Amino acid sequence: MKSILRRIALLTQRETELIDITPTVREEVERSGVRSGTVFILSQHTTTGLTVNEGLPDLEQDLSDCLERLVPEDQAYRHARFLHSDGQMAINAPSHLRGALLGFQVFFPIEEGRMVTGARQTIYFVELDGPQKRTYVIQIIGE
Amino acid sequence: MIDIHTHPVMIRELVEKDPELARAVREVFGLLFPPQPLEVFLSELDAAGVEQAVLLPLDCTTAHGCRIVTNEQVADLAEKHPRFLGFASVDPAVRDAPKKLERAIRRLGLRGLKLDPALQRFDLDSRELAFPMYQACSELGVPVLVHCGLSWSMVGQAKYARPLALEEVAQEFPRLRLVIAHFGWPWVEEALLVALKYPNVHLDTSIVYSGTPAEALRRVLAERIGLEVLERSLPRQLLFGSNYPRQDIRRAVRGLRALPLSPGLSENIFQGNAASLLALEGGSR
Repeated sequence: MKSILRRIALLTQRETELIDITPTVREEVERSGVRSGTVFILSQHTTTGLTVNEGLPDLEQDLSDCLERLVPEDQAYRHARFLHSDGQMAINAPSHLRGALLGFQVFFPIEEGRMVTGARQTIYFVELDGPQKRTYVIQIIGE
Repeated sequence: MIDIHTHPVMIRELVEKDPELARAVREVFGLLFPPQPLEVFLSELDAAGVEQAVLLPLDCTTAHGCRIVTNEQVADLAEKHPRFLGFASVDPAVRDAPKKLERAIRRLGLRGLKLDPALQRFDLDSRELAFPMYQACSELGVPVLVHCGLSWSMVGQAKYARPLALEEVAQEFPRLRLVIAHFGWPWVEEALLVALKYPNVHLDTSIVYSGTPAEALRRVLAERIGLEVLERSLPRQLLFGSNYPRQDIRRAVRGLRALPLSPGLSENIFQGNAASLLALEGGSR
């Protein structure tokens, strides 16, 4: 049984941004040599999300708009105060809550050395409090 | 849009190659999260719609034995990225401080002086330490941005940072252009008093104490002072400041935009007043 871990860094450009990471994940799976197993993709942050959807710009915008409607910026959140453990203001509750709605990990099976996805499935790393330097993890487990 | 109040203290390219700077940022300035690449700072400005940002270093050699980003580093950043407008910091207690300031302005091309009495630990009305710095700025024709009010640094002492101490300074140096940072919170009325009375005194909007920028700005500017006071009496003395990275620039911009300010005042705060103060194109009329 193999277990391969890759950390992928990226610099996001906008406050909310859906980044298609499918080619990177697919390439890592094929490069791993694992013929049968599972690939897990995990974000290392609490103000980002990982999600799967059809890779269309209109849906990307709809998803972004939907998150903003569900978690508006101008509500009275408790997480709006000075955070002593950081030395900065914690004023990004909407980013955390949008991340909680999306979740922080996705996984797919690997069969005959390839990731098994539906034809329209795109894996998105979702920035919710950018721009920032971000890291996600790809773990490939199998044989 | 111009942000008059940013600290270039969490730039990875500077912090990672200088363990002493990393220590000072952590133990003196009090920022405890990982530094980010310079590109992130630039993208943050883009995302907020800010074209230019004033960079504020901090020389607290006497009080804490460190410089939290040097004047040379600020000048280098400003040279490589013209959207950055560098200010100098010189510890007023070091020998020949006014001469050091003059060199930073004339040789490095920096555009003003940042003073942080809470961290540098001097009295704003000290004729021995502070007045020579005001005199130098007055003669050089550059503004002084003064930290006033709450210092979030755990070694900063707000007792040195009362805005009312600047009244004497405004009287002694009538040509000197002063900026009271953070609206002097919690001594907002003191800051307001000085700015109302002396047209050369400006106030920056980086009010950071609790709540989102939208909430803090509404509470202080709209409810405590009254927007009509700002519209009538201070249209050319208010400056947008974020205090990045203590808070993000995007939300600071949105918080100010959420106030029902007249288009003219809004334009002055975000652009025109800072442009006038820094002798850039597009100053307020």
